[in-house]
Amino acid sequence: MNRKNILMKSLALSLALILPCLAGVPDAGKGRTVGNEAAPLMFELYSDFMCPACKLLHENLLPTIMRDYVSTGKAFLVFREFPLAIPQHVYSRQAAALAVAAAHVGKYQAVSDALFRGQVAWGGSGKVWEAVAAVLTPEEQKKVQALAKDPAIIAEVQRDVDRAAKANLNQTPTIMVTYRLRQQPWTQFGDYTLFRSYIDGLLKK
Amino acid sequence: MGVIFIYAGYVKLVDSVALEGSAPFLKVEMVPWQLFAAGIADYEVVPMWAAKFLAHTLPWFELLIGMLLVAGRWFRSSTVSTSLLLIVFFSLMVRAFAGGKEINCGCFGPNELISWKTLVRDGSMLAASLFLTVVAFRGRRKQA
Repeated sequence: MNRKNILMKSLALSLALILPCLAGVPDAGKGRTVGNEAAPLMFELYSDFMCPACKLLHENLLPTIMRDYVSTGKAFLVFREFPLAIPQHVYSRQAAALAVAAAHVGKYQAVSDALFRGQVAWGGSGKVWEAVAAVLTPEEQKKVQALAKDPAIIAEVQRDVDRAAKANLNQTPTIMVTYRLRQQPWTQFGDYTLFRSYIDGLLKK
Repeated sequence: MGVIFIYAGYVKLVDSVALEGSAPFLKVEMVPWQLFAAGIADYEVVPMWAAKFLAHTLPWFELLIGMLLVAGRWFRSSTVSTSLLLIVFFSLMVRAFAGGKEINCGCFGPNELISWKTLVRDGSMLAASLFLTVVAFRGRRKQA
């Protein structure tokens, strides 16, 4: 009886230790991750689709980061929505909801590329849906339009915003670098060599 | 003032979180200098090469003048250096805050945003440092 008790307790303890590991990245967001989840580094990229610096990062620097760290298995990339609550970014939340909805039909990358590419146009006209629809099939369009209004999708965007607030993030783009359970936000993208040197230094530790 | 400068240099160099749980002095982990360089670059006043250079040298310089102040050696030079450094730091912080930049102060390690609190703190330090500089030079005149 005593032995059985010890065995059960050991089993419960093992499960308690293993379960968080099995859960993987907390709230990673369906279809908004790239790379190997078991990579030593995690990059959470917080962006706002109306932010010009985010467009620059997405179009110029992100392919290099993907090549150097994500494709090589060194980093797991998670895209996080951080629509800034400022008057100039009036369509940011709508764009974020559409992108998250697109992630649920496997089209996050295509939609985020289209949103950043057409940022100036839809940012001025407010025709966000036109930019998104252009990269979706008619069937996907129907699904994405419905999903974007779904409270679950709106909540998914809000969870990212809350996550950013909890981490005291205040600007976009920000990459939250997680390495060995420690987190460090990185916002300086003026010189990629500095970011690379920082990340390579972490990996050598 | 000397102790504050020693602390400011120390927290930019030594990773205090990494020390937790390990025997101190057995495993000292350095703060990645790139974090400080990124903080300097955020002020947008010096080019990146200068930010990198300052990130490597400034914490050591702060440690040095802190130790000189505590030891009371080269007192006039060290108080003048402290005042000049604080004038530069404080001006840049005021400029960033007035410009609405939400950036890290970089004063005592990473992840401390510029706010009224940091401005009051650094302003008080500047006032104290200027006072020390005046005292150092008055003492010299009296001796003469």
